[in-house]
Amino acid sequence: MAVEIHELTAGYDHLPILQGINARFNTGRVCALLGHNGSGKTTLMRCINAILKPYHGAVSLLGTDTVSLSRRQIARIVSFVPQSSRMFFGFSCIEMILMGGVSRMKLWAVPSSKDRQQAELICEELGITHFAETAFNQLSGGQQQMVMVARALYQDTSIMLLDEPCSHLDFCNQHKVMRVIREMATARGITVLVTLHDPNLALSYSDDVLILKQGRVAASGLTAVTLNNANLQAVFGDNINIDTTSQGMPVIVPRYVAGSNH
Amino acid sequence: MKKVWLILLMVCLGVLVLAFSAGRYAIGLKDIGVFFLHACGIAADLPQVPKEMQMIFWNIRVPRIVLSFAVGSGISIAGAVFQALFRNPLAAPETLGATFGAGFGAAVAIMFFTHMIMGIQTFAFLFSILAVTATYLLASRCREQSASVLVIAGIVISALFEAGLSVLEYWADPYDQLAQILFWLWGSFQTASWSKVETTVPIVLIGCVMLYIFAWQLDIMTLEDEAALSLGVNIVRWRVFYIVVSNVMIAASVASVGSIKWLGLIIPHIARHFVGTEHRKLLPVTAVLGGTFLVAVDTLARSISSAEIPISVLTAIIGAPYLGYLILWKKEGGGELGS
Repeated sequence: MAVEIHELTAGYDHLPILQGINARFNTGRVCALLGHNGSGKTTLMRCINAILKPYHGAVSLLGTDTVSLSRRQIARIVSFVPQSSRMFFGFSCIEMILMGGVSRMKLWAVPSSKDRQQAELICEELGITHFAETAFNQLSGGQQQMVMVARALYQDTSIMLLDEPCSHLDFCNQHKVMRVIREMATARGITVLVTLHDPNLALSYSDDVLILKQGRVAASGLTAVTLNNANLQAVFGDNINIDTTSQGMPVIVPRYVAGSNH
Repeated sequence: MKKVWLILLMVCLGVLVLAFSAGRYAIGLKDIGVFFLHACGIAADLPQVPKEMQMIFWNIRVPRIVLSFAVGSGISIAGAVFQALFRNPLAAPETLGATFGAGFGAAVAIMFFTHMIMGIQTFAFLFSILAVTATYLLASRCREQSASVLVIAGIVISALFEAGLSVLEYWADPYDQLAQILFWLWGSFQTASWSKVETTVPIVLIGCVMLYIFAWQLDIMTLEDEAALSLGVNIVRWRVFYIVVSNVMIAASVASVGSIKWLGLIIPHIARHFVGTEHRKLLPVTAVLGGTFLVAVDTLARSISSAEIPISVLTAIIGAPYLGYLILWKKEGGGELGS
């Protein structure tokens, strides 16, 4: 088991956001976390990454409670791709990616040419070599997100957390980033937890889903089974529906768009 | 990179030769050469230079240049570290209150401890450290442990020490103590000596080496807190390390020569323009550039008029327009200040 969450209650300023969460995330699978704004998706990620200390309950990574792990040890197990990244200085993308290796290095060490080659290989894999030497803060949101994914891959962890990686991206870039995440998870056997606003992306790219409602687990399980009308309507309201495209692909749409007769 | 270093070292050498030579007592290039050859134990058969010139060269000019180079390097590196640590291109060595603390300490010594040997230097150093410690303690009381909280705490503590300094200036004897306080606050190398070199240079040197060794961690500290934590960096511990090392350097520098303004703000930007933002490359260039710049400014300060011009006056005359140029130029270039 990659991640195990037991009776987790957590929040900010003594105000619980998550209450009594129990969940298990299997190795090598992509799990989408869905829910309204404020339902606790990001808070759950922060608890898994041990950035936020829970009020109650425990999070285990590869069978070890996060409480007994140091910051460096956690960074060797879990990588994190934030929703957006602000860089205040003009570091190049390759320099940003190399920072992902800090938890494996001695405190005084600097990345070697071998490390650089490895980072360049990841850039090649993701198809971002053409802007690898460009300053990170001069890239578009989509390109920055790809660099952040590259850094997480360079961090070489068995669990990857992605917090709304598609929130600032256009339609094409959303699918590009999600496809890369899906392919990397399959190729490297990484456990991926990704928070998403669009359930259609979960439908297309995730193996499992966990739906949160007001800080509690509303539904969880295989994507194809769990993303049904009953679960979606219980969380997002009556005006959401699963339809089918002319190619027979399921698609989640608001009811008033799905057809005026509904 | 090699080209940058070559140009920088040539400029540095040129400035040093000029600094050794220029001043109210001009020393020829030939004499400077003879001094150094004698010091190295070679060319003993070369003609002796006048005793007076020897005395001025070895006891006044050399310590002054060594001290100004070290202070320039230390303050500039501290500026680069603060800009990275606070992710703010406008951060400077004054950010955490070290300079105002030193100013207050120096004023206390000038007014109440005039009999103490090295009283001004000791008090300036201690109050500088005290101010930064107060800033850190104030920030640590805040629930949010971010870099911006430290900056705000620094503003509060700086304002308190500045107020205390104003009170002391108000009480000071205007014909003696007030003049001394103001002269110290403007910064000057007029009182440079070998004893000041002995107390300041080792601290700055050790600080520079420590910061250089851990320069790559500083790259990671420029990331947002959560990103750095996710990479496995203990940001609180590293922040304390960089603040302590930088502030000891600032305190030692400011305590020996007074406030040197603008230097720690502008030199890192110039260095970044040449070698980029990677601190392993940036810090050594910043150190040499800052040292060279301050030696040049000090040479100017003691050469262009009969009375010595305070250092901070000259650094402000050069620094303020440069910062304006940087903002305008960066605006045209479309990049952010600091990149």
